[in-house]
Amino acid sequence: MSDCNLMRESMPFLLTESLDPVRRETAHQHIEQCAACGEEWAGYRETWTLLETLPELEAPPRVKQRFMNYVNPPAAAPNVVPFQRRPAVRWLAQAAAVVIIASGAYVAGHRGAQPTTQVVDKTTAATPATVTSAMPLNAIQPAAFSIAESRVLPANQISPVIEGRPDIQNVSFTTLDGLNDQMGVSFDITSHVTVTGHPTDKTMVRLMRYVLENEDRMAPSQSRAIDWVRSTYSQPGNADPEIARALANVLRNDTHEGVRIKAVETLTNLPSALSTDSREALIQALKSDPNPAVRIKAVEALSNLIRKSGQADAITLETLRAKASQDDENMYVRVKAAEALSNVRP
Amino acid sequence: MKSLSDQELMRIVQAGDFSPASEIYDRYSARIYNFTYRFLRNSEAAEDATQEVFVKMLKHANQFNGEAKLSTWLFSIAANWCRDYLRKGDNKPKDSEEVLVTLPAAASESPHHRLEQRENQVRIQKALAILTPDQREAILLSRYQGLSYAEIAQIAGCSEGAVKTRVFRAMETLKKVLTAEASGGERCLTAI
Repeated sequence: MSDCNLMRESMPFLLTESLDPVRRETAHQHIEQCAACGEEWAGYRETWTLLETLPELEAPPRVKQRFMNYVNPPAAAPNVVPFQRRPAVRWLAQAAAVVIIASGAYVAGHRGAQPTTQVVDKTTAATPATVTSAMPLNAIQPAAFSIAESRVLPANQISPVIEGRPDIQNVSFTTLDGLNDQMGVSFDITSHVTVTGHPTDKTMVRLMRYVLENEDRMAPSQSRAIDWVRSTYSQPGNADPEIARALANVLRNDTHEGVRIKAVETLTNLPSALSTDSREALIQALKSDPNPAVRIKAVEALSNLIRKSGQADAITLETLRAKASQDDENMYVRVKAAEALSNVRP
Repeated sequence: MKSLSDQELMRIVQAGDFSPASEIYDRYSARIYNFTYRFLRNSEAAEDATQEVFVKMLKHANQFNGEAKLSTWLFSIAANWCRDYLRKGDNKPKDSEEVLVTLPAAASESPHHRLEQRENQVRIQKALAILTPDQREAILLSRYQGLSYAEIAQIAGCSEGAVKTRVFRAMETLKKVLTAEASGGERCLTAI
């Protein structure tokens, strides 16, 4: 093969600058000296330049629209199935709570702003749940080991208005290593959420209240929640009347006597236990709780309140007197009530 | 999303979260559409191809090697789609020469220049259509997408040497066709 043939074969690669420096230099020297190859090279360059004149096109917008419809298909009409109707207030409250938590998750996932409350590092890796949940499962198969996300959210990025009754499950309480004065409350809703913040943060208080009042009625789970509240909110700096009100509601409504006893014990230890709501709940428990152990604990709690404050209101005194003299009351309840009355200063 | 690299976006997709889909589409749709349109000379097919490339990207995200360039992987999917399309029976180019060039010329350009530009673009499309699919694929990826021979070899599933041969043959043909026409058609197409 002649030099000219070799050079001509090299010319396309001169254009794409894919020849090594030595061969490139050799080719250029040959082209300068050989008229025939010079003409050939001019032809290649002209062709290469001409190719550049093809316009760059944009894909029509409908292509992206179709693609995005595939990723997030428009919502289909929901299947309506017979459903046992819940009270309207509860249903609305549940919807509101779900929106609040989902909004918080979305904001945390999309805002670049640094939270003022410290966040566990996992937050930055978390991704919004909305897209995953909107995926067409039959159309696009996610990665083999795709998992539901777990997100850690700072309390200050969650609305403190926690209303309604979303069906939360698997509630747990965590301490955050290296983050003093921080607590974590974790639960499953659509995705598992951990809200972090100081116990006095309004969101944390509302969340704890919600957990206390709405967690499923499995006594061990409820007991854990109350234990957590007692260890956290019995400290004077963390006191909050809302927590006391939540415990009062547990005392009124929980069907498990063990849980109600724990509620009474915890109420007694809370700095804010003197709230009217707490006292009323204790009095109501003493009057009407079917379990004598709960009534005894209620008497003890009222006695403690009287001792701490040094005084008692008229309703409390009247209830204690009635119990002490009630013939058909459990003997231990009567004795405890009498002891409580003896502590009252004249 | 815009600040994330291709690899970071794909890691999110691989985790089952398709929220980066729009951003990835915006980054590469024009290149994919141009490639498939010039390859197939059919705007309808190019639209289908572009959409299908990104759908397959999501479906098979776990096949993406994080160390590879995302563009190379997407062009692989696009090239496969185009080759499959051409293998089918009823796949003749449907777009006429009149719609091949769709961008309006700048208002400042003279009518004569605009006409000349339009004619050139039609000539190029016709010349590209003469190439074999392998040659067309190689020259489109090399000239218009700026990919290296190694990347084109990966996309085409052949050796780098084979890619060089295809580019050389393609350029040889294009030069003959385009420069012959430019010089008044003295060197006729039948000589190719």
